[in-house]
Amino acid sequence: MTALRMARILTECGARVKVVHEGASLVVRGLGVEPVGIRTGYASQEITVRSGDNTITRMMSMGPHGVNHRLDHAMRALAVQVSQGGMSAEAVEHEIDRLVKETPRHPLWLVALAVGLACAAFGRLLGIDWLAFGPVFVGGGLGQAARMLLLRRGVNSYVVATVIGFVASALAGFGSHFLDSGTVNLSMMAAILLLVPGVPITNAQTDIMDGYPSMGSARAVSVMMVMIFATTGVLIAEWFLGMH
Amino acid sequence: MAFAPPDILYLLHQIVFGALAAAGFGVLFNFGLRSLLWCAAAGALALGVRTLGQDVHWSLEAASFVAAVVTSCVSTMLRRPLGPRGNAVALAGCIPMVPGAFFGQALLGMLAVTTPHPENAALILTSTEYFLRVFFTLAAIGAGLAIPAHLFRNPDF
Repeated sequence: MTALRMARILTECGARVKVVHEGASLVVRGLGVEPVGIRTGYASQEITVRSGDNTITRMMSMGPHGVNHRLDHAMRALAVQVSQGGMSAEAVEHEIDRLVKETPRHPLWLVALAVGLACAAFGRLLGIDWLAFGPVFVGGGLGQAARMLLLRRGVNSYVVATVIGFVASALAGFGSHFLDSGTVNLSMMAAILLLVPGVPITNAQTDIMDGYPSMGSARAVSVMMVMIFATTGVLIAEWFLGMH
Repeated sequence: MAFAPPDILYLLHQIVFGALAAAGFGVLFNFGLRSLLWCAAAGALALGVRTLGQDVHWSLEAASFVAAVVTSCVSTMLRRPLGPRGNAVALAGCIPMVPGAFFGQALLGMLAVTTPHPENAALILTSTEYFLRVFFTLAAIGAGLAIPAHLFRNPDF
């Protein structure tokens, strides 16, 4: 179960399936058993290990998928440490608990500020004018803050995509229109770029290339779903602002 | 074909905003402060290469592919300071090239096509074009990042 937990956390942090399997295998070997097989799905994972003539299979369900670079690399370092031997399963579990609890995360205000700036910068790359820069920054930043609060309350991630798509694009569209920007439509689209799941998109492709087409396809479908729900939010915002 | 020198101001604009977008999304992905600088550098490199490619009339897809290849290769070459973070930094640098706005516009266009009286056939063409651009650009970025990573395998885990 320790190796399975490592695999689960790595997947939830946005690691590729190949990395997840390598991490789990390092832990399994470090604990003195041999991995027979690991299966990673979008919603659950299974592992079979062998010790002498005995084999055992365990399964674990997956939590929400996200991206957490620092926890991902802390887990990888732990997997390498475990593979060198000398740690008991209890000690590894304790260390995993500690890392999950203590690995730092940026505060909400900083993430909101950074994402707002990223959306506005993305907008400039797409061609929004300077008048729309501020509204996209505000829409993207407030959208990200609201997104984090909703996800913490356990709201379905696709519903969150629609709500945030609406909030961010309505704020950016209203602000840009108010400031007489010539790129109102583009600014509405730029403000929802925080919802575009860039890491899962590339992971989907890499997983398929690495020989895990089922996980790759599941990731691609979830990306499509997020985009459909986010675009629905933009459409509602366009109606709300009288653009139809 | 005559060679025209790149518009330096436009190139700088793309580099600066590419760096800002990559670093901003790096905060969302919970990169550490030092890694964020690498994300910004990777974003600047990716957007710089893509802009230069488009300047010499490459398609968006081709320019994105080359930019992703270059970013991935450079992150592999910088293995010593980057360690196992190299692939993640290259990916963060390429995030500003993900055509999210095209994706949204393609979906909005398709929704408009399904209304009882769509404006004209050009709408279908534009939406289809956006979808194809999204598909091929994403494929180009993914392949551009993956190919060097597979060829020059990073032994760090």
